[in-house]
Amino acid sequence: MALTDTRPETGTDASAVAPSVVPSPLTIFGTGDHKAVGTFYVLAALVFGIAGWVAAALSLGHEVGSNSFLSGSTAMQLGQTSDLGLILLVIVPLFLGLGTYIVPLQVGASTVAFPRAAAAAMWTWLLSSGIFIVASFIDGGFGGSREKSVSLTLMALGGLIVALLLGTVCVLTTAVTLRTPGMTLDRVPMFTFSMLVGGAIWLLTLPVLLANLLLIWVDHRYNGGTTFGAAATQFEQVSWITHEPQIYAFLIPGLGIVADVIATLTGARLGQRNILLFAIGAFGVLSVGAWAQPAVYPTFSDDLVWQAMGLLMPLPVLLFFGGVAKAFKDGKPSLKSPLGLAVVSLLLTLLAVFAGALLVITPLELRTSNVFATGQFVLAIAAALAAAAAGIGYWGPKMTGGQSADGLGKLNVLVLFGGGALGGLSLCVVGFSNRFTGLDGAHDALVIVSSIGCALLALGGALALLGLLSGARKGAPEAAADAWGTGQTLEWACPSPPATGNFGDLAIVRSPEPLLDEEV
Amino acid sequence: MTAHVLPPAPAVQRPRVLVVGAAFAAAASFMVFIGLIGIYLAERVDVVGSGTEWLPKGATIPLQQPNTMFITLIMSVFTMQWAVAAIAKNDRVNSYLAMGLTLMLGIATIVMTTYLWYLMELDIASGIQGVLIYTITGAHIVMLVLAMIFVALMGLRALGGQFTARQHDGITAAAVFWYAMVAVYALIWISIYVTK
Repeated sequence: MALTDTRPETGTDASAVAPSVVPSPLTIFGTGDHKAVGTFYVLAALVFGIAGWVAAALSLGHEVGSNSFLSGSTAMQLGQTSDLGLILLVIVPLFLGLGTYIVPLQVGASTVAFPRAAAAAMWTWLLSSGIFIVASFIDGGFGGSREKSVSLTLMALGGLIVALLLGTVCVLTTAVTLRTPGMTLDRVPMFTFSMLVGGAIWLLTLPVLLANLLLIWVDHRYNGGTTFGAAATQFEQVSWITHEPQIYAFLIPGLGIVADVIATLTGARLGQRNILLFAIGAFGVLSVGAWAQPAVYPTFSDDLVWQAMGLLMPLPVLLFFGGVAKAFKDGKPSLKSPLGLAVVSLLLTLLAVFAGALLVITPLELRTSNVFATGQFVLAIAAALAAAAAGIGYWGPKMTGGQSADGLGKLNVLVLFGGGALGGLSLCVVGFSNRFTGLDGAHDALVIVSSIGCALLALGGALALLGLLSGARKGAPEAAADAWGTGQTLEWACPSPPATGNFGDLAIVRSPEPLLDEEV
Repeated sequence: MTAHVLPPAPAVQRPRVLVVGAAFAAAASFMVFIGLIGIYLAERVDVVGSGTEWLPKGATIPLQQPNTMFITLIMSVFTMQWAVAAIAKNDRVNSYLAMGLTLMLGIATIVMTTYLWYLMELDIASGIQGVLIYTITGAHIVMLVLAMIFVALMGLRALGGQFTARQHDGITAAAVFWYAMVAVYALIWISIYVTK
């Protein structure tokens, strides 16, 4: 059977009940079931997330005082590895995992497109991530002194980008081609639409990162590392994915999760749907940042386009905020943890885009050091993590078949908001120290606060993981097909967890909220 | 009187999953080269702006071989489309022939590229130019080989009787990926070989 074929078992009748037997290792490693693949992505990314935020906290803590517990080179490599890792090992795979699991359900498909390719992508990503971490720890991070370790890091990064792109192609193709009859593109659920926008932006920009890595590797391997592969400039060439505006590209699916969670848990239809779709699309367009590479275009920050993108970015977020706020007014909010996490994600996103707008204002001179931009990075990644945690809490009952412990989720609302705000805002305040000399004395204290914020974000990742696992524990209350009782989109029409093939016969979809229509 | 019974209506066809997937993959591959060529052009502007020649002393890029490759790849676009059109008419023999010709033209392009590398006398360790030119042209060869494997695989599946006039998405998908690789070469031709 070719890689592109659909596995026969994924296209069968959905009336069968999900088997309760423990799967064999062969089934686990060989499955092309989008639910298993998506779950593996989410579990692994959460574990990497805990490690990534701990590494970020350590690399920040190194900057405090004069007696550092890490050598300068080690701290630099740790910081750079955690920056890249939080994007490529945590946020993108978290959203991709949720997309692989949920998008087929939301569009009424029996499987993800190219299920074996999706599985191959997940295992390649997991393997490459492991190699990336190991290689980074043996002095192979950017600027590392062990040549073979650096080569290994570069190749692992290349492998995991190819894997993420392949996984993205599978999810995008599902959303474009496997929609159930009647589900036009303007009727797809918000998360699916945001995956379409976000996935398209990833497909356009992550290959450019691959091009950067390719040049670094070729120069490092065949030219003695004198130009692109020079130790001092390696990270600079790939750092654009951690900066404005590209960093926003990794938040896009989060907006869709926030909208879906708010619609369901307020019990209201999203009234301003077209405005929300436009806001997500505009947010995506303004996040294309592959051209703003400091190594190739050192004066990009003087470019009017870059400044305009940064200044305009709050507008789609405010538009989105207004659109979803109406659902609170029209409906009756249910005080469940996914709703709280969605609100936290939205607030952190607002903070990140306003910080980004300040960053591009040249007279403020916030770009003279990297500190303010690092604070904005922490805010953005924390917003994405909160959105992913909201999605995990919201779809957790669907994924595990059991109700997860909402108390853990509610605790996570506080932890992630505290972590994101402390971790990001304190660094943003430090970024103003070139204008307010009084801040110099508070530098160490603020960096410690930021470090504590990053540690809290690691705890937030752990709580999200525990919350998901709590739904799978023995004795967890069984989740109904419509776990929240107010589901609007098709994923809530199939059993929890979905049976093989997901659905039986579906009626023709006639609105963006098919479960609120009588025909289904 | 004999009643004519019409065949049952065809089942609703899914949109072309493989073609859409191949288009996304082709777009991602295309962006790799957009990134590489963007960096190439930016570096060349910097070097030329500083008053020095772009190519190191002794290195040369002849135009005859790149032009021949371009013509070869344009011909391959026609042969690939010939394969798609033939299978759409259930003309399997012509489809096999056209895919075979496409593969031969692909091999000819690879051979010509390696000959061009020999003629250029450009050492990869000669500096930024060598790294950029060999990375871009080498990556294109890798993508061309992948496209050839895709075409060959679809050709084998056609030989196995998997494609018909009604359902030949595999060959169309291979064609989409092939065209993207030819478009990439057009970019390389103009930015590296012509405007050197």
